[in-house]
Amino acid sequence: MQHEKPIELRKASQGLLVVLALATQARAAPADRPVDFNRDIRPILAENCFACHGFDEHARKAGLRLDRAESAYEELDGITPLVPGDPEASEAWLRISSTDPDEVMPPPSSHRALSEAQKGLLRRWIKEGAAYADHWAFVPPTKVEPPRQDVAPIDAFVRARLATEKLEPSPEADRATLIRRVSLDLTGLPPSADEVAAFRADSAPDAYVQLVDRLLASPHFGERMALPWLDAARYADTNGFSIDGGRHAWLWRDWVIHAFNSNKPFDRFLVEQIAGDLLPDRTDEALAATGFQRNAMITHEGGTIPEENLVNYGADRVRTFGEAVLGLTLGCAQCHDHKFDPISQRDYYRLFDFFNQTSEPALGGDGGVNAAPTAQLRSPLVHDDVDALRARISTLESMLAVPDDAVPGSVAAWEGQQRADLAVRGKDFALHPVKLLKISTPNTGSGFSIRDGRYALVERPMGFVAFDVSMELPARTAPITGLRIVMHPDPDAPAKGWGWATDEGVGKGEKGSFVVTNVSLSAGTIPSDQVNLYRLLPLRTATANCWSVDGRPEGVLNTKANEAWIPDIGVEGPVRLTLTFSEPLPSDATHLTAQVNFGRHGNVTAKRMEFFLVSGNDDDSTLPQSIIDIVAKASDVRTENEWATLRSYVAKHAPALASLRSDLDYVRERLAIHAEAFTALVMDTAATPRQTRILHRGNYADPRDPVTAGVPSALPPLPEGAPPNRLGLAQWTVSRANPLTARVAVNRVWQLLFGTGLVKTAGDFGTQGEWPSHPELLDWLAVDFVEHGWDVKRLVRQIVTSETYRQASHASKAALDRDPDNRLLARGPRFRLAAELIRDAALKTSGLLVSDLGGPSVHPYTPGDPWREISHYGSTPATAQTFSQDHGARLYRRSLYTYWKRTLPPPNMATFDAPNRETCAVDRANTNTPLQALVLLNDIQFVEAARAFAERILRRDGDDAARLAWAFTEATSGEPTPAVLAVLARAIARERAAFAANPDAARRLLSNGESVRDATIPAVEHAAWAQVAALLLNLSETSTRN
Amino acid sequence: MHPLDDSLAHLTRRAFIGRGAGGIGQLALGSLLLSALAGRSEASQVRSPRGLAGFPHFAPKAKRVLCLFQSGGMSHIDLFDQKQTLVDFAGKELPPSIKGTQRVTGMTSEQTQFLVVPPIAGGKLCGKSGLWISDLLPHLQTVADDLCIIKSLNTEAINHDPAITFMNTGNQLPGYASMGSWVSYGLGSENEDLPAFIAMVSQGSGKNPDQPIFSRLWGSGFLPSSHQGVGLRPGGNPVLYLANPDGIDREHRRAMLDDLADLNALHAAESGDPETLARIEAYEMAFRMQASVPELVDVSGEAAETLELYGPEVSKPGSYAANCLLGRRLLERGVRFVQLFHRGWDQHIALNRQLPNQCRDIDQPTAAIITDLKRRGMLEDTLVVFATEFGRTAYSQGGFGDPSAGRDHHGRCFTVWLAGGGVKGGVSYGSTDDFSYNITADPVHLRDFHATILHCLGVDHERFTYRFRGLDTKLTGVEPAKVVRGILL
Repeated sequence: MQHEKPIELRKASQGLLVVLALATQARAAPADRPVDFNRDIRPILAENCFACHGFDEHARKAGLRLDRAESAYEELDGITPLVPGDPEASEAWLRISSTDPDEVMPPPSSHRALSEAQKGLLRRWIKEGAAYADHWAFVPPTKVEPPRQDVAPIDAFVRARLATEKLEPSPEADRATLIRRVSLDLTGLPPSADEVAAFRADSAPDAYVQLVDRLLASPHFGERMALPWLDAARYADTNGFSIDGGRHAWLWRDWVIHAFNSNKPFDRFLVEQIAGDLLPDRTDEALAATGFQRNAMITHEGGTIPEENLVNYGADRVRTFGEAVLGLTLGCAQCHDHKFDPISQRDYYRLFDFFNQTSEPALGGDGGVNAAPTAQLRSPLVHDDVDALRARISTLESMLAVPDDAVPGSVAAWEGQQRADLAVRGKDFALHPVKLLKISTPNTGSGFSIRDGRYALVERPMGFVAFDVSMELPARTAPITGLRIVMHPDPDAPAKGWGWATDEGVGKGEKGSFVVTNVSLSAGTIPSDQVNLYRLLPLRTATANCWSVDGRPEGVLNTKANEAWIPDIGVEGPVRLTLTFSEPLPSDATHLTAQVNFGRHGNVTAKRMEFFLVSGNDDDSTLPQSIIDIVAKASDVRTENEWATLRSYVAKHAPALASLRSDLDYVRERLAIHAEAFTALVMDTAATPRQTRILHRGNYADPRDPVTAGVPSALPPLPEGAPPNRLGLAQWTVSRANPLTARVAVNRVWQLLFGTGLVKTAGDFGTQGEWPSHPELLDWLAVDFVEHGWDVKRLVRQIVTSETYRQASHASKAALDRDPDNRLLARGPRFRLAAELIRDAALKTSGLLVSDLGGPSVHPYTPGDPWREISHYGSTPATAQTFSQDHGARLYRRSLYTYWKRTLPPPNMATFDAPNRETCAVDRANTNTPLQALVLLNDIQFVEAARAFAERILRRDGDDAARLAWAFTEATSGEPTPAVLAVLARAIARERAAFAANPDAARRLLSNGESVRDATIPAVEHAAWAQVAALLLNLSETSTRN
Repeated sequence: MHPLDDSLAHLTRRAFIGRGAGGIGQLALGSLLLSALAGRSEASQVRSPRGLAGFPHFAPKAKRVLCLFQSGGMSHIDLFDQKQTLVDFAGKELPPSIKGTQRVTGMTSEQTQFLVVPPIAGGKLCGKSGLWISDLLPHLQTVADDLCIIKSLNTEAINHDPAITFMNTGNQLPGYASMGSWVSYGLGSENEDLPAFIAMVSQGSGKNPDQPIFSRLWGSGFLPSSHQGVGLRPGGNPVLYLANPDGIDREHRRAMLDDLADLNALHAAESGDPETLARIEAYEMAFRMQASVPELVDVSGEAAETLELYGPEVSKPGSYAANCLLGRRLLERGVRFVQLFHRGWDQHIALNRQLPNQCRDIDQPTAAIITDLKRRGMLEDTLVVFATEFGRTAYSQGGFGDPSAGRDHHGRCFTVWLAGGGVKGGVSYGSTDDFSYNITADPVHLRDFHATILHCLGVDHERFTYRFRGLDTKLTGVEPAKVVRGILL
């Protein structure tokens, strides 16, 4: 039995019968219509017979082929498999209809069986002449005359099919539904309530077409169209295999968005991605496009075998090219001739050869550095107003220059806090020696030790290394407030310094220093060699007795390699780092483990470390002495210079100005995107050609016959004069003779707009793929697309202005029974939004969305640091081993800019079926799970969005009813019915009462999220509306496009 | 009526009649919604509490699986498959006739010497069955008679990423569905309030951090993502996003969800969209999970004696021991497939230092869960799978006797074991040569291993397929795979 999809819930209901009945209707010829080989027979043969009697000569049994007429009609040892017109003389029919288990085909051992309906079809087919036809998708499409001329061609084809099925199309959807549907489809963002109202009120006959044109011109069009292409192209920000370190791939992503926005003809879109580097008129932009092929996963895992890696990389390129561009599942032919499609193993390796000629190394991509070949390129996606960016930068800079102007009273408030802290500095301070038990590090077994239970020694220079030091804690009475690590000068270290680092920027070239990038602590009642990642002690501050300019101690509180504690080389004697816990250490803790990470680069370890518990207040300060001196002075006696120093310090460090600092950092990055070139992964041609060979059973270690580049023999040859390289392949791909490319392309656009393609198996147009629901329409669209210059915007416009697209999606029970998956298109498409669109819609509705285009990927809210739990952090120069959340604008970018780590994609996206982007994905599942409900209810991103949406609601004039009505439309685009308003009115009343009874709960709810709340709104009122806003963001309608 | 339909019927009755919500309660509406269910489309289905039609294929011996995955490549030589010859050849070159021409990794392929290293600790023949188990695993020694040790497991992969992906998904390359997700897909869950497949990760104290692991190991690959393993993590949010935001308590959430159900039901009635009904049910399941998961992870009601059984680390959140105890609690609650990943077994260096630590992490808790399941009468229908991605070489990586030396990867033969549901206890299956380097009898490819696990669950791996990239894809892949009959009860 086949299990193509999760039918479990249908099994006991009549739904299954309906589906099966429909499938039969959809595929089988009615009794009065001749059997069509491709539609009716090939799927049965492919499913049940070709594995042993098909194209793969190695698997062929009894020398019999049923995939070609000439073989099937041929007499073999006195037996003829198929005698056209005479089933009873056809051996195939006799075997198929046999009841003898030794005779019957397919044999019981294959676990396959033909249904009576299938047998009937086969018999009819033989009776009618057993005519074969080439597989439909391998025959170039032709444009047949649409069945009627009074409607648009799309509608003509769809209606003709409906007529044969005796179904009626649905009426046009209402205006609100239409604007929501087309806005989400073309930009990925829902319309605002105002836009809905304006569209409702627009009586112009072409109001809808105008709307479509406006959306096609939106810069967000490219973002929306890019999304499925990023899946197909397995775009991500990490290398994928093994350590899964970071890469810089975003420039290619921006190229894609720009290509759609600028309506790059789709043939050119493909040519540049396949062979942009080989184009005679090559531009930087075309070179950036070749990143498509560099999206493949790579590894730098030591011990991997180069030949094996290169085969994996190449195979991934062939597979992606096959599924995303040609709609063929070529992967089967890596190991053997394809069982179902006419793709031989030789064909496979000839295609492989096109992609095998790059200089990309077998191991690469470590340390966050892109693997070769790379190029320094400018982003083609220039969208921001550069002058505005510059102006914004100078505004932010001047705000930070005078902190009191930016945040009134910020200097005094900060000073007050510092004076309060300084006043209690060192109060009751005491150190408590601990007993060191063990020191360990993962990648080396020697070179470190514990001496006298007191010192942890690192006996030779090492880098990219974390040491775990476990210790036994003394009995104590005072609450323990922190941990101190003292780095001692050591006679064995360079120039009697504290550590092994003597390179520039750390020491002065003689005295050994060190770089601590992170300290993580955990405590418990049993000794633990390793820090417990699941119970890290929260730390409030990190101080030191000295630091260098770029090495402030608070750098150890995060896992970023570029923020680290580096002591001031001029200081004599021991240097110390003091970590103060957020809460005193639990009194029952008897053991503590500290992980000290020296992760920046080579040879930056300390030499001799000593550890103490701290009670009382830290006797060091986060402030340098110069600032302490200024703070100590009365404000009226400070010099102007001192004021300037103080302001500058406040601007750089005061928490109250953090959001300004992140804004400035963000805007500077935006400007840099326009002004600078960035590293990009590109394709090239290796100086020495690689000899591609057929790999026996796909095994890299078993290369056999050499092959040269070529296209599958069942498809048209390379065009006349095309070079035998990727450029030739690209020309072939988009040539008129290619029967697949345009069909696959229009089908993908159809899939985006209807949820399901005309060919449901968007990545498989081969014989195992599904027969198109509307074959003539698919072909008509494909030919028309090519005839009009592969114009994507035109194609989209053509489809979304059709009456078919504009139908209401309301489904009666009868309609659902008849066609639950809406393949016949008797109603408008309805489906849950993609992961990214759900989050983007919430951001837009809340007003938090930062709608900038392109740029480096961002790290929005993620619970904790899930990366570290699975990664190689502390043991590798690779990046993306720990998660560091961004702040400010980067929290609110559209979701396609979220940093995509392949081994652990953003959990709130993965929950909504986003693929992990390890391999080509042309189709997303569309599931409905309780975990999705938990994301929408509890993910801080959505909780904050509800809070911000509430502010927008409260900024509107009007009573509750008016506000509720507006908010409902803003979230769902729909008009609330009185019943809906009644529920919402009940909700706001209840929420008000609940928070009035518990104002602290209101305050706590509103504290979720980093954006600044409008404090003029009373907390209870704000929280009550935030709950109603959350209710709206959780509605099924809000995450559905219908 | 299907059970889900039944629960929705109940739900809609509750929403429309039971509470007379806002004056919109009407019986007709409820039944209209219900009638829409019949044609519910694929997309509208909530994570199914049930498996596929016709599953299991035959009466299963095991109803559920606990997979204790030792990530990094556990040394079979040191722990389960020792040979006297290894001792005799200590420090001597591995005979070329043994080493053969099989490939070794890039980490040792350049070595000029391949010197045999004997097991780092002694061991003994345990229990009535007399299985040899290393003294590094003293607790495990006590349950030897329950174990079915397979010494002839083998894989083609010799590096972590492909090997661990192969072992967990049946394919060396990414993109395929994990064991647990297959089982979830085929057999569904026995508990509507918990996912069918739960995964937990712990860090090893032998080597930390060890080789990275990947969400694809518990991912759903090409299967619907509702079958992916749900991570269970220590701390206040054991399932990501489980906890209500600060300021919202359970009662408050309930009230909001009632409104949500009413609004969604109104919409379903208006639009005829059955997916909306399924979404109501998803929210209800989420709400139930918010209660069932904290109850699940709260071990305060466990007897002191039980906690002691698992050893001192059971009190350390996120430890292997704590995860074992949670594993038992999950199995008790009907979770179909529980998988622990314990990192830290990649002993290329400092074998003598690292391996005892790794063993200490897992020894007592692993023995404890066997004992605990057994005394609760659950071992007989729970299949415990103790597996790793490959073994380690008989020869030294690095200089012989060097404290920094270790063992390289070895896929040609390695040891895993099974216990409980449907397999014989106290047996050893398959054998290797005098250097534990090559298989001499009864090879078990990891495909066979997968087929056998499915068999214990009553599933014929040949008939368990999913259409992907034009193929009826199986967990056991395209090459032949066989059930290891010799170990079955």
